[in-house]
Amino acid sequence: MTGDAAKAQDVFQATVREAAMRAARGDAASDRLWFFRDARGRCLRAMEEDLQAEALELDEREISPSAPARIARLDAEQLAIWISAAPEPQRSALAFYYIDEFAPREMLSLLEMKVPELARLVASARRQFQAWLDATIPHEEEA
Amino acid sequence: MSVFQRARMRRALAQCAPITDKPSVDRATRSAVQRTRQGKRAPEFALQEGFDRAVALLVQTIPVAPEVAEWFANENLVPVAKRSWRSFAFNPAVLAVAFAVAVITGIFGYRVHEHMRDFPDAANARKLLTVASSTRSVLLDPVKTDAGALGDFFFMKHQLDHYDVPPKFASFRTLGCRVFDDDEVRRVAQIWVTEKHMQFFLFPAEKNPKDGRVQNFSGWKFVEQEGWTGAVKQENGICFMVAVSGTEGDLAPYLKKAER
Repeated sequence: MTGDAAKAQDVFQATVREAAMRAARGDAASDRLWFFRDARGRCLRAMEEDLQAEALELDEREISPSAPARIARLDAEQLAIWISAAPEPQRSALAFYYIDEFAPREMLSLLEMKVPELARLVASARRQFQAWLDATIPHEEEA
Repeated sequence: MSVFQRARMRRALAQCAPITDKPSVDRATRSAVQRTRQGKRAPEFALQEGFDRAVALLVQTIPVAPEVAEWFANENLVPVAKRSWRSFAFNPAVLAVAFAVAVITGIFGYRVHEHMRDFPDAANARKLLTVASSTRSVLLDPVKTDAGALGDFFFMKHQLDHYDVPPKFASFRTLGCRVFDDDEVRRVAQIWVTEKHMQFFLFPAEKNPKDGRVQNFSGWKFVEQEGWTGAVKQENGICFMVAVSGTEGDLAPYLKKAER
């Protein structure tokens, strides 16, 4: 979400602190997704203070059968950087989707969007990521 | 939602289908995934699933700081939501079972209630109510007299002993009557009266097959069949039934009058 591990840790600690303070006040959140909602909000605020990436029309390609093998050769950091560079709300959608912990309904609630919008964001991110993969790990490097 | 809207929604749900199976996934998503796996877009969807699994696997390898990881050492990242009684109750399978049980209970209750009210001649009485509902006036011999006077007529012409209309119904004016044979009920006298197009039936009471004795019962007993209601009374081994198109309520005033 932030593209910076230290910043992500600050957000995490601030969320935990807020949760602890609320619990001490006897005002613990009844929403089981509160933690993620709060952390996302803090991430977005932290990102607003940073330099903003220019809006670019990214190249898109259809998913290739060799994509899983090529993704396996990637570094986790490369993926994290790619996701953190995506514009909002696509970045949040990808983060929540690929963390693979949420049901679709929970994601929609966290992102405050409808199914078609989430589907469009995730589908277009796949095609963009495929184009990025094609550029980063060219076909001749396969095998 | 139109067919096209539903198809679009299914496609959208498949595009953001959960990467791994989760118990909290809603029915619409599960159904959309299932249909896509079996539909024309199955090869494309298989590629998407492979792609997503590979990315999710890579995400799992993103290093997490130890001080963050220890928070989740003994807990799931997202606690599983408990299924509410409402979502359980509105599950189509539960609804279908509940509906089936309600119908079976209803039928069982109705049959028990029906049998609790049964009496020895109930089956014959029901059969005669079917006769009453299908009888047309032209089938009867036209006789305009008091119903009470027909007892002697049945005895004189058909040798039917004790085929007497109870005194309180004896003053009702008749339109016609007939005597016919039935395989099960045997000799039946049918009288059509002007009052509310009622019909009277006189027929032999059922006998116990073991000892050949008449199975007695006392008071008025009710039977219902095809929108007709009959009140039956037994006297001297002969049953008298007054039948009317309607409910027990339509007969009640006449029976009260008869009891007085």
